[in-house]
Amino acid sequence: MSIKYTIDGVEVIAEPSDTILTSATRAGIEIPTLCFDKRTAIYGACGICLVEVEGVPKLLRACSARPQEGYVVHLHSERVDRARKTALELLLSDHTGDCRGPCKLNCPAMTDCQKYVGEIREGRYKDAVSTVYEAFPLPASIGRVCPHPCEDACRRKMVEEPISIAFLKAFAADKIEADGDPYVVSCEPDTGKRVAIIGGGPAGLTAAYFLRRYGHAVTIFDQQPKMGGMLRYGIPEYRLPKAVLDRVEMINGVKLGRDIQFDELRAEYDAVLLALGAWRSMNMRVPGEDLAGVHGGIDFLERLGLGERPTLGERVAVCGGGNTAMDCCRTAVRLGAKEVYVVYRRTRAEMPAADIEIEEAEEEGVTFKFLTNPIEFYGENGHVTGMKLQVMELGEPDASGRRRPVPVEGATEDIPVDDVLMAIGQGADCAGAVAEELLTQRGTIACDGMTFRTAYDNVFAAGDVTNRGAGIAIQAIAEAQKAALCINNYLEGDEVRAQVPYFVTQEKTPEDFEDEPKQKREKMPGLTPEERRDNFEPIYFGFTEEQAQREASRCLECGCHDYYDCRLIKFANRFSVEPERFAGEMHDREDVPVVSEVIVHDPDKCVLCGLCYRTCDQVVGKTFLGLYNRGFSTVVNPMVPEEARTFCTSCLKCVEACPTGAMRSFPAVERVTQLV
Amino acid sequence: MSKQKPSDLSLIEPVLDSYAEVPGSLIAILQETQAAYGYLPMDAMEYIAKRTGTPIATIVGVATFYAQFRLEPVGKYLIMLCQGTACHVNGSELISAAISDELGIHDGETTPDGLFSLEHVACLGCCSLSPVMMINGTTYSSLTPDKAKKVLRSLAAESAEGGASA
Amino acid sequence: MRLIVGEGSCGLAAGAGAVHTRLQELLAEANPTGVELGITGCNGMCFLEPIVDLYDDEGALHRLVKVQAKDADKIYQAATTGDLSLVDGLRISAEDAEFLDKQTRIALRDCGIIDPESIDDYLAHGGYQAITKILAEGMSQENVIHEIDVAGLRGRGGAGFPTAFKWRAARDAKADETGQKYLICNADEGDPGAFMDRAVIEGDPHSLIEGMLIGAYCIGASEGIVYVRAEYPLAIIRLRKAIEDATARGYLGDNILGSDFSCTLRIKAGAGAFVCGEETALIESLEGKRGMPRLKPPFPAQAGYWLKPSNINNVETYANVAWIIVNGGAAYAAMGTENSRGTKVFALSGKIRRGGLVEVPMGTTLREVIFDIGGGIRNGKEFKAVQLGGPSGGCVPASKLDTIIDYAELSATGAIMGSGGMVVMDESTCMVGMARFFLDFTAKERMLEILSRVVDGKGEEGDIEKLEELCYAIKDGALCGLGQTAPNPVLTTIRYFRDEFEAHIAEHRCPAGECRELITYYIDQDKCVGCTACARQCPVQAISGERKSPHKIDPTLCIKCGNCKTACRFGAVQVR
Repeated sequence: MSIKYTIDGVEVIAEPSDTILTSATRAGIEIPTLCFDKRTAIYGACGICLVEVEGVPKLLRACSARPQEGYVVHLHSERVDRARKTALELLLSDHTGDCRGPCKLNCPAMTDCQKYVGEIREGRYKDAVSTVYEAFPLPASIGRVCPHPCEDACRRKMVEEPISIAFLKAFAADKIEADGDPYVVSCEPDTGKRVAIIGGGPAGLTAAYFLRRYGHAVTIFDQQPKMGGMLRYGIPEYRLPKAVLDRVEMINGVKLGRDIQFDELRAEYDAVLLALGAWRSMNMRVPGEDLAGVHGGIDFLERLGLGERPTLGERVAVCGGGNTAMDCCRTAVRLGAKEVYVVYRRTRAEMPAADIEIEEAEEEGVTFKFLTNPIEFYGENGHVTGMKLQVMELGEPDASGRRRPVPVEGATEDIPVDDVLMAIGQGADCAGAVAEELLTQRGTIACDGMTFRTAYDNVFAAGDVTNRGAGIAIQAIAEAQKAALCINNYLEGDEVRAQVPYFVTQEKTPEDFEDEPKQKREKMPGLTPEERRDNFEPIYFGFTEEQAQREASRCLECGCHDYYDCRLIKFANRFSVEPERFAGEMHDREDVPVVSEVIVHDPDKCVLCGLCYRTCDQVVGKTFLGLYNRGFSTVVNPMVPEEARTFCTSCLKCVEACPTGAMRSFPAVERVTQLV
Repeated sequence: MSKQKPSDLSLIEPVLDSYAEVPGSLIAILQETQAAYGYLPMDAMEYIAKRTGTPIATIVGVATFYAQFRLEPVGKYLIMLCQGTACHVNGSELISAAISDELGIHDGETTPDGLFSLEHVACLGCCSLSPVMMINGTTYSSLTPDKAKKVLRSLAAESAEGGASA
Repeated sequence: MRLIVGEGSCGLAAGAGAVHTRLQELLAEANPTGVELGITGCNGMCFLEPIVDLYDDEGALHRLVKVQAKDADKIYQAATTGDLSLVDGLRISAEDAEFLDKQTRIALRDCGIIDPESIDDYLAHGGYQAITKILAEGMSQENVIHEIDVAGLRGRGGAGFPTAFKWRAARDAKADETGQKYLICNADEGDPGAFMDRAVIEGDPHSLIEGMLIGAYCIGASEGIVYVRAEYPLAIIRLRKAIEDATARGYLGDNILGSDFSCTLRIKAGAGAFVCGEETALIESLEGKRGMPRLKPPFPAQAGYWLKPSNINNVETYANVAWIIVNGGAAYAAMGTENSRGTKVFALSGKIRRGGLVEVPMGTTLREVIFDIGGGIRNGKEFKAVQLGGPSGGCVPASKLDTIIDYAELSATGAIMGSGGMVVMDESTCMVGMARFFLDFTAKERMLEILSRVVDGKGEEGDIEKLEELCYAIKDGALCGLGQTAPNPVLTTIRYFRDEFEAHIAEHRCPAGECRELITYYIDQDKCVGCTACARQCPVQAISGERKSPHKIDPTLCIKCGNCKTACRFGAVQVR
């Protein structure tokens, strides 16, 4: 006699031997569970499969409850969701590890560094590039210019030095280019929707790439003769992924507000993305700023980028301590200036520029004048001849945590200069280009940080132009990636918001890596300071293949191997957990128990679903694994003498059964068993 | 746990002879084994596994689930300090502190001379005479920190005498 | 003259063994005629142990209490000379005697009266009449169950499920080809604060055997198993002897009393795991496994021990059965309330004056049990709360003392009837500490952590709400009955003593003066006489002062062990 009942309004037929879970599964309804596997006896440990049945006072475990005729089952009542969420939060409060490596988490674009580094180690360069393309479309250029926050987070530095992640990325991109085996991205079928993107820099190009992959028609408008924006010559057009951008319409030499009108675009396209960048050098508001020879840093670099060779005097001062300042001073060296100063009001420790940039600038002969701040430019015949500097000292920390520079009363210094490059910041310049109501007081475009939407429903913004201000390229790329998703969601009528997924993370200290053998970072071959200071040749040659593989092999593989198969993290995100609510003491864990020559168990990740030992016992018939202790201190452990380990035939069924990354094999296996 | 001397397995032969074939006897076998050795030596558990055909993982799993079983040897006197509600209300914590103070051991530990082990146990069921402790089958009731210390001292003295005369 | 020494575990713990030994020595020396020495189980007056009952030649009882070994000679003299004035100093006071007078004893009917090691004594007190009646009259299973049904007997171990319903379910469950069904007695008595099951087994083991025999008869089981806690060695010894004796007399074994009914009984000693009080965990443990609860359904009545139909009741439930059969279900049902019939045994302990075992009709108020029988709080302190039902129950405050003993009424307070533990607390017991204590028992790690920080004065705003949330999540998500009720102690203490939680969190103050991290010991300079007792007990030399002048405690050195407070005979050491 079969039983009829409903789950969330869908009729389900159950046989007498069925539970709610088995009959739902057959009807194509997924009920989340961590501990159920039809090959083993019902266990009921995880408490995730709870459902509410109308008229039944208690929540039922779908894995064990038998449906009854006419049951009205709800998978998602408020009570079920709350119970399920708490169950997950409690599991997560004692589950630790790194879902994703610190490298990926520290990358604004969430590039899966660990994955492509591993692919490079295995010589799978095309896979590596494809991994990068999942996050953004410009590996060769970003590999060269990115200040690589990934490497800052790399735990290898607790052993000796971080992995050379950025150069490895550039290596892979160059390698497949050189091999004539370009990466081809496939796109979704055309949706018929049209998106206009204003600005062809990193943000615009990245957004175009993703929107095209979603199947939308994309047009990029850019005021410059060529695409690339701030990275203009870092991103040669031929390196953009062809299959995607081939079908993107690119219109150069048009300026918003001058050649094309914002309102027309809004009317003509289904969505508009403003990715105009920040092209205006900030003023210092000191006397003499309008003298000839005092240039905006960005304007200066822009002229260079347009092919000009601006002439500079012998003595050049660059004001500012960021990456743009470094670009300016190192360009000035290359343009033949004899004395190049960087004037910065704090000390080297506070400089926002990347360390390597500062080092290389020093190598190239740039003089750093720390703790000085220009208070006046003066000159003769309208051209700058010198500047007065206020001597500073560091006071109390400010809101950014950096110590605030304060003037030392009466202490000033004069330096003679022929040219000054101001690189103290850059701003957006959108006045007249877009509708007033989109703008902030500073002339940037106001948009929401989670939806990238402006005051208009179908107008989005990303990159340096937004109210979040100018940043590094990878930040603009990261915004564009998320903005593209939001635009796609908007075009498909979904909720616009880009969800930030929840990840389990942990803190490590150098002591954790004491036993790790040391292996120095590969040295990047390149030009000596003498060889590079009078030209614009790329200063690095790139890794050899052998070097790249050796470097990639240093990776500690912090991120969990089972991330994509992990049901715990999948449910954690699906049910929007907040595990910090119940954060507390973790298990009193011993060393990682070795199960066999090829299997280890990580108690830090174990949620005690019992699937490993039940599978070993009930499916394999070995009972090699077991539960030990009771209550909170329960662990899965082959707590037997070493010689008994010969029992285990390493069939790996336990590894396949584990819903998290707690059971691991070497080498990692592809999961073949379909659970449930 | 591998450092222990090999156990005299003949001690548990009679137990295994009578129980090895009886299903569901594992706890009883372990209880008898513990009675024979004072704890559950790993080699004895391996031998039980061999004789009964029960996987060692199952045996150690049971042995670590129940509070009664110990995987390490205990002292000559096993102090079972009651942690029941009434004992709690009547100050078992102070008794625990007094024992720790007197012997320098805490729950689950044994004195270096192997004389005393302290174990916190669930209710001994002498609630109206709380706080109580049981040492080798004898229950001491209505304890005060002072009284508990006196009991321990007299047992230590008794043991010293017995040792001298033996 | 007969001298009967109360030798339950309590009596022995209080020194009954030494009294018995001394009396035995004296009797062996002189070998007087007309003086007999015997033992009995616990009569429930634990607060008066050791107890010697002296029956004179007219059969009148003279109860001697708090007897020590040194009193044995006096008692011997009295017994041999007949001059009972010799023991006047040991006689129970009229007030204390009321302890028993106010009770109605059914489950405990023979406890403290008969010799638990003598089947003849049990028989002499009407034992095995019920099973004899059933078998001799050929009562059907249904007739017997009907009587239990009429009695309205509900499970005395915790949830209070109607016994007749369970027996019918097990009787009706289809056995496999072996026809095997099992009857199990839960004598794990894991709830701290409850010890009536121990007392029944130690004091009247045959009443348990008889109750189990009747149960086995009703469901068609040929084997019974008693799962006894390992912490009850004396109970195991006495029960083992009782089973041997009952088997020898034909009350156990094949063709009992010449009928077709056969049943054996055996003991399984538990190995120490609170969770094994839950019936399915108990079954796992019986099967020699880790005592993890099973998912229900199937219920034990369908698939229990070795997956055969099984019935489980606790000791007290079975101990009522023979009385009901002999006296009729109606007589039992005449006591108690509409949905809670008969009597219930409570174990009174904590800060009570007269602690022990109390059996009263259902419908009695908590106040009557605690104040009229138990004599209220000792040392003149204030009643604060009573903990009912152990880790599954809750703390009931003074305002609810007039609640009657009734399954539904007690549940309405947030506590439960449970197995009958009644731990009484006075003003010096910290309720947050109590809640924490129970979580330690049920191993609710995250809640335990929160409460631990609260008692350490490190609680955070929102902790109470977080606890409540966890409580409800556990109630919804727990696998077994124990898990579902584990939050009760926390929920009830929050419900009735929220201000104490708030004082700990917001003011870092323990109103009961119990939480170590939140209190300071000091010496009342007016009360201190300078006896130096406290200073000698201080393990860290934090107390200073000249002999015969008031002492002082250096709070920076004090480790709050409380030794000084215990040592002071003048009440000068105080806590704030």
